[in-house]
Amino acid sequence: MSRLVLLVDDEADVRAIAQLGLEIGAGWRVLIATSGQEAIELAALHQPDVILLDWMMPGMDGRETVRQLKNNIDTQKIPVILMTAKVQQSDQGRFEGLDVAAFFAKPFRPLKLADQIREALGWEE
Amino acid sequence: MADSPSPAPKADILVIDDMPENLNLLAAMLMQQGYKVRSVTKGTTGLRGAQVAPPDLILLDINMPEMNGREVCQRLKADARTRDIPVIFISALGDVLDKVNAFAVGGVDYISKPFQVEEVLARIENHLTLRRLQRQLQAQNAQLQQEMLERQQAEEKFSKAFRLSPNPIAIATHSEGRLLDVNPSFLTMGGYPFDEVIGRTVDELGLFRSGEAMVPFSMQGWQSLVASAMPNQEAEFLTRSGSLKTILFSLEPIELVGMTCVLLMINDITERKRLENEFISLVSHELRTPLTSLMGSLDLLASGQLGHLTEQGQRVLQIATTNTDRLNRLVDDILDLERMRSGKIEIRRVPCQVSDLLQQAIDAMQSMADQAEISLILQAPDTSFDPTIEADPDRLLQMIINLLSNAIKFSSSGGRVWVRKQIVAPSQFVERGDGSAIASDGEIPGSVLSSVQSFSSDAPGLLIGVEDEGRGIPADMVQRIFERFQQVDALDSRRKGGTGLGLAICRNIVEQHGGRIWVESELGQGSRFWVWLPQRGETQMNTDGHR
Repeated sequence: MSRLVLLVDDEADVRAIAQLGLEIGAGWRVLIATSGQEAIELAALHQPDVILLDWMMPGMDGRETVRQLKNNIDTQKIPVILMTAKVQQSDQGRFEGLDVAAFFAKPFRPLKLADQIREALGWEE
Repeated sequence: MADSPSPAPKADILVIDDMPENLNLLAAMLMQQGYKVRSVTKGTTGLRGAQVAPPDLILLDINMPEMNGREVCQRLKADARTRDIPVIFISALGDVLDKVNAFAVGGVDYISKPFQVEEVLARIENHLTLRRLQRQLQAQNAQLQQEMLERQQAEEKFSKAFRLSPNPIAIATHSEGRLLDVNPSFLTMGGYPFDEVIGRTVDELGLFRSGEAMVPFSMQGWQSLVASAMPNQEAEFLTRSGSLKTILFSLEPIELVGMTCVLLMINDITERKRLENEFISLVSHELRTPLTSLMGSLDLLASGQLGHLTEQGQRVLQIATTNTDRLNRLVDDILDLERMRSGKIEIRRVPCQVSDLLQQAIDAMQSMADQAEISLILQAPDTSFDPTIEADPDRLLQMIINLLSNAIKFSSSGGRVWVRKQIVAPSQFVERGDGSAIASDGEIPGSVLSSVQSFSSDAPGLLIGVEDEGRGIPADMVQRIFERFQQVDALDSRRKGGTGLGLAICRNIVEQHGGRIWVESELGQGSRFWVWLPQRGETQMNTDGHR
């Protein structure tokens, strides 16, 4: 079943890699947002199956984006997966209280992304 | 010194007398005794001769036409070249006034005509000896003065360097570290007034804290500081306001007013460290983003889903992937270490089964060991006892894996790597008397136990050892091996795929647990890495009666 993924990252190359991985690896459709603000708008409009969100972005960062997504009735049910550098994950307390479904480590393997998402969200297909 | 050896004339004597018969008589008498004699009949000629080649002694007639003896003598005494030559006047018998005048103008003695051979010789010999002694004294005196000057200059040099050095310097007694003098830089760095530190000991003031580079043992007061006298050790320095400075210090023994003292020289590297860490953090973050794209791109290419590569193309791709992976590990390690050092990562202590951790580490490294044809051997001295320790299991695992990975990397194929664990308890250090202590089956050398004793203050702890038969670590590297990027061989990082940070990470993990890590190594024989961790919460060691 083809899924729709909203990919949020301020780095164009990282977006391109993730998008290719999801499209080629799983045949999913990918929607691109380059900032937290854009992500909130696109998520409400297109209702993606999952949001892959970069943690470290200029302007509205991952934390604030998650907060606004979860406070918006149109987007609060969409699962959010945070993409963070491995080392950032080891900081205790950094992500406490965040309503996210999973953390994915950067660098990631583009062709494994779809499988990772399936596993994290319990999608059986 | 001034004396001549026997074949040469005993001394060079200038005789000035206007009477040729006197001259001949004296010259013959003296030459017979082995003196070299120059005879002149005029005062002026004698003066010139004495100036050109100063004789050892001058015999001078008082009564001469033209320039008389007194005047000749005055001129001799006025000239620096001839001033010190002893002058013996020749006078007519009974001419008392002459003699008095002779002494007044600087003569040392007189002989009377007609000459008494023995008397003349005795007087000459006498004054030559006096002159010789005088010269010796002068030379010694000059040498002494030179030495004093040099000493004075050295002292001045030292005192200037001490006072003006931009580096903090202190002079303390060797025995107890009592501060005798400190320089202005020391006071500036520490924020202490002079009177507050002088006469007090380093320990009383609590000036030094163990720094992260204090390997293997932390400082326990002045004694261990003196004992571990390595140049440029890293430590932390407590300022008066309570802030900590990162310093490098060196100790140099000096003798001062009959006391053995040490010169404590400090280099404040606080700011350097801060910049370094900031730089590392910044660079690592900036590296991570392009790495993510790079690794993703290579992964996509390697999948073959974007078209197929030739065999050579795939080889090139493999090279790119391997190196990108390594770069990624390096960035990870640097950031990891930086965060640990700056305290951004806290350890979470939970009770851990040590055997489990060791087994997990071995499982994780088994395939690497198999590839390198190295056997990993888990040695448990006592299988019936499975110590628990309060620690962060992820971090401990990371540390053991790092140690194992090193041991494998630096062993040749066919080699063996041992992992052992042991609880060391206080009573082991004393006597094994009532059996209250735990497993000691001689697996762990006594030198290691006494090392542990020196820092554990008898708290029970866990000792983990990783031993290999690899190439070992040169003695000069043993202390530095736990610092960042201190590989024994600069080529190692390329050949072995390491990052140069593994042991620094290990040390940080161990120190965060309040433990110690150190290594014993013999070049070509292998290395033994030891980790001691305090056991923390009272485990069942005594109550359950493990033994």
